[in-house]
Amino acid sequence: MTEWWAGVQQKFVAAFITGERWKLYFKGLGTTMEIAVFAAVLGIVLGTALALMKLSRSRSGGKTAATVIADIYIDIIRGTPSVLQLLIMWFIIMKNCTNGVLVASLSFGINSGAYVAEIIRAGILAVDPGQTEAGRSMGLSKWQTMRYIVLPQAFKNSLPPIVNEFITLIKETAIVGYVSLADLTRVANQVSSRTYEAFMPLIGAAVIYFVVIKILTILLGKLERRLRRSDNR
Amino acid sequence: MITVKDLRKDFGDNHVLRGISYEIDKGQKIVIVGPSGSGKSTFLRCLNLLEQPTAGQIWLDGEEITKPDTDVNRVRRKMGMVFQHFNLFANLTIMENITLAPVKLGLMTREEAGEKALALLKRVNLVDKADAWPAQLSGGQKQRIAIVRSLAMNPEVMLFDEPTSALDPEMVGEVLEVMKELAEDGMTMAVVTHEMAFAKEVATKCLFIDEGIIMEENTPDEFFNHPQSPRLQDFLSKVL
Repeated sequence: MTEWWAGVQQKFVAAFITGERWKLYFKGLGTTMEIAVFAAVLGIVLGTALALMKLSRSRSGGKTAATVIADIYIDIIRGTPSVLQLLIMWFIIMKNCTNGVLVASLSFGINSGAYVAEIIRAGILAVDPGQTEAGRSMGLSKWQTMRYIVLPQAFKNSLPPIVNEFITLIKETAIVGYVSLADLTRVANQVSSRTYEAFMPLIGAAVIYFVVIKILTILLGKLERRLRRSDNR
Repeated sequence: MITVKDLRKDFGDNHVLRGISYEIDKGQKIVIVGPSGSGKSTFLRCLNLLEQPTAGQIWLDGEEITKPDTDVNRVRRKMGMVFQHFNLFANLTIMENITLAPVKLGLMTREEAGEKALALLKRVNLVDKADAWPAQLSGGQKQRIAIVRSLAMNPEVMLFDEPTSALDPEMVGEVLEVMKELAEDGMTMAVVTHEMAFAKEVATKCLFIDEGIIMEENTPDEFFNHPQSPRLQDFLSKVL
């Protein structure tokens, strides 16, 4: 028993302490979060724009060019693997860019935008049409009504699935190892190949992902309740 | 003030308005009644172009607003509209509901709009609700706020689309009271309603719309006591 415990201790030291390896994990986590946050912001901006494009209607009520473009964009992004999109971004579109985090952020942001677009579109459609009518009847333009009345309510409707999307994004960035960026997953993998011991680094990385996402879930839950304050009776 | 000529509105094969011509003068209070599905709400919604008429013309202050190049947003500033389901902006406080349009349209500064809103809230005895959210108010309070929100734009005409139909019976009175005061102040009004007592008391003219046309039009006294068309006689016998 004591022998087993000594073995565990030794493995822990090798995985996290020797050569200050714990710093590597935190640097890796930093890279992971940097990519995820940039990508989430870009995803929400792109997603909102795409949702508005999809919902635009011509005077006769038909599809607009903007709708067609948004449809094609969403089709392409959803129809190809995100690893492949990352590789295309890395080796073809931005092959001269030396900032790996930037390339990965753009790739994931462009990917996320397609999914966020559908989330926000549903959020906009869930807002009572009477809200738009009231805004327009007072002389506010289409855009002003969207900006001040519909979108704030649509974002509130969309927050739970957007949080979900952000959490998916944090985990999905683990594939940046494909283009040799040192994120949390890749760091754990590197350590295990150096110490010839997989258990501690991999389980350790899993625990770090779990804790970070748990904390985020709690914080965003608080934000959601704050946004719901206008529903208090 | 408002002239309507041969107004028609189709929804697909459904001919809701089949040629309505009418003239509303400044200061008049028009009350529109009719069976459900008769087109009375559609008529009202065509006046501020929430519905695009299929054919016909509407003039406001001598300007034809049914022309394709009309600045619809500018036209709507002159016409307040009150809805059956209030439609207060759910994401804004009462104060923000009232000040949003005047401020964002550049008609007033935030301070001016705030003062105006407080004065209007005082008129309907709801100053204490300035910082409340719409969801915290009763139906009657919401509708009084909705009226105030339209008045903050200093409209020339007020359109009411069944303003008391979604209210609990005990709240109808407080909303009608505000509308009566508004009428006494000389506001031009067009009201679609089922409140016949209000029509008798406030209307300068009553309109009976059925099957997409104005079937009868008269002073309230004649309208209710000596209805001409059999359809109106039948309708009144059911609602009175």
